[in-house]
Amino acid sequence: MKRFQIPRGVWWVAPAVGILALMSLYPLFFLVFTGFHSISGEWTIRNFTRMASDRMLGEAFLHTAVFTVAALVLELVCGLLLAILIDSLRRGRAVLRTALLLPMLLPPVVAAVIWRLIYNPQFGLLNGTIRALGFNPSHLTWTSGEGGALASVILVDVWEWTPFVFLLISAALQGLPQESLEAARVDGASRWRIFFDIELPLLRPVLALAAMLRGMDLIRIFDQVFILTQGGPGFATETISLYIYRTAFRFFDFGYASAMSLLLLVIATMLARGLVRQLRPIAAREAA
Amino acid sequence: MPCSNPRRRGVGRRWHIKPFSLIAAASLMIAGGGCTKQGPKLTVAINAGVEGEALRSAALEWGDKSGTQVEVVELPYANLFEKLLLDLTSNTGAYDVIMMDDPWFPKLAENGKLAELPAPDSDFIQSTVDVCRYPYKTGKYYAIPYVGNSQLFFYRKDLFERDHLEPPKTWDEVLIDASKLGFRTVLNAELTERFGYVMRAAPGNAAVTDFMPLFWAYGADMFDAQGNPTVNSPAGVAALEMMLRLGQYSPPGYAGFNADEVAAHLLQSTAAMSINWPAWISAMDDPQKSKVVNQIDFAQMPGERRPGQAELGAWLLGAPSGSRNVSGAKAFIHWATGRQPMKEAAVHGNPPTRRQVFLDPDLMERFRSYPAQLKSLESARPRPRTPQWNEIENAFGIAISKANAGSMTAQAAMAQAQADIAAIVSRAGK
Repeated sequence: MKRFQIPRGVWWVAPAVGILALMSLYPLFFLVFTGFHSISGEWTIRNFTRMASDRMLGEAFLHTAVFTVAALVLELVCGLLLAILIDSLRRGRAVLRTALLLPMLLPPVVAAVIWRLIYNPQFGLLNGTIRALGFNPSHLTWTSGEGGALASVILVDVWEWTPFVFLLISAALQGLPQESLEAARVDGASRWRIFFDIELPLLRPVLALAAMLRGMDLIRIFDQVFILTQGGPGFATETISLYIYRTAFRFFDFGYASAMSLLLLVIATMLARGLVRQLRPIAAREAA
Repeated sequence: MPCSNPRRRGVGRRWHIKPFSLIAAASLMIAGGGCTKQGPKLTVAINAGVEGEALRSAALEWGDKSGTQVEVVELPYANLFEKLLLDLTSNTGAYDVIMMDDPWFPKLAENGKLAELPAPDSDFIQSTVDVCRYPYKTGKYYAIPYVGNSQLFFYRKDLFERDHLEPPKTWDEVLIDASKLGFRTVLNAELTERFGYVMRAAPGNAAVTDFMPLFWAYGADMFDAQGNPTVNSPAGVAALEMMLRLGQYSPPGYAGFNADEVAAHLLQSTAAMSINWPAWISAMDDPQKSKVVNQIDFAQMPGERRPGQAELGAWLLGAPSGSRNVSGAKAFIHWATGRQPMKEAAVHGNPPTRRQVFLDPDLMERFRSYPAQLKSLESARPRPRTPQWNEIENAFGIAISKANAGSMTAQAAMAQAQADIAAIVSRAGK
């Protein structure tokens, strides 16, 4: 009888698989385990049922949704426009590309600290400039005012991460098939017609990819909000990640924090699946 | 049969032996490195800041004196509590001496997580000693007070003298003075403004810290004798209404302010009064940072229906029960909170917790605020002694911040705070 032998290759990949399991799967299982346990260590589903009646969690979800949608739309639109604009330039493209990438190179915490100083209503650069131009900015409180705090945080994210979207789209623009574009130009198609009928459909996979990567990042926004507003004023900028952090590391309710993390994971996964579907037909077509 | 193949068995053994050998070799290397130092080891967890710096110097001095290997672990304020609680809950023994902000003490001391310490002597100021007992005021000692922080009422002495005003004794007087001292003019096309009062109302600790002296002065209390929340009492609502009236004389956006924004207004001479911590005094008198050198004076906290009381913000030293060197930790804590080391810590900028250190002639000459600080500390009131304080403070702070941001009335904010705090208390009781 032929004895079963473990292929030699298994031993080579085993460490990597082991590390992956340790780093990814173990925390996930532990998260589920903790989510079903009370502070005193008993099995419970109360952490999940509590979410239905948690007003603060509802508000944090709403803020996260507004933040994610607004920032994502702005980053995609600004990134696309910048990429098209710079791609159409005859000179200085390399310099502009490098300059545009600078915000993205800053660590998010550093960017948030810089913007916190810029936004200061009395001593900040923004209101100082408005004042120097002869206008009265005393009503512009930016991150300190409940009305504009979330918008101010969105602006910082758009400033920092639009270059990432720009970079993806810019690379895709350079890889577009020139024959189709040339043929359209010869046929007398306008710039707008070329953009909407040829370039935009061809850019769809990269736009979906950018939306997926940025969407995943935005839905778990933490560092910028933590530095800029700490969720305030009031509760105006509290996001789910911040709420989970507070619940886990300020109130030490790991069970409830784990349950909320699982909910966030499910939502993020559903969002990612939706966007991956956008990629699939194009990939299938390309394969064919 | 398992492992019947000698080749496989050999491979299996090698797979076990090799990592074991590596671990053993690494352990020996680490142990060998450790062998170069002699004596017992003491790991001290400190707050990254002026309070921690003084303790670091003291710990190193103790190491030299006693022949102890001292390791100082410095953690930012935002992470210190979580690291300490994780260590104490898991009983890892990572730290032998820990530095605690006093509101954390009930959470850290419950369930015997801290080692019992001998009672401090009578030179320590009573308000700082009471918070070292678990339960509060009546229980055994699980910490010794190291830094005696309590809030002070900062005001611009030069402006008060110019306008022939007395330092305010009640919150009504603060409001009247704020209306007199604030101004806004345009001179040579440049806007110049000063706000009568500046406060911080960012959610959480910031808003609650600035609100508590008002809350207590109006006769309100967080809990009744049975431990039920009472924040939305008429007195509590009146206190928040007064805070909102003071907000009319505060800079726009103060509902998002933290300590640094408040200090910036005082330092830049754009605010006349504020509640603040003694740690900011040195910056106020530093010509490199301040436009108001020696122009800020310190008064006792204004009262209203009750005498004014400042909030206590003491730093305590304790020893985790799981420490591997509890006796060494106790000896160090006893020494570091002695009169001479505490005087040296005071020179570093730490307000002491011993009366005799406050009255030391050298220090009184050096720190002009000491008489006011001593008086404030003697009557200071700690935050409610509950293990759920972090969560309660968060909920209370959100409601206060919302009211100050203008999205809620004082009545509605206090009703929301009451409901949220009741839910936290109820959950904790389950």
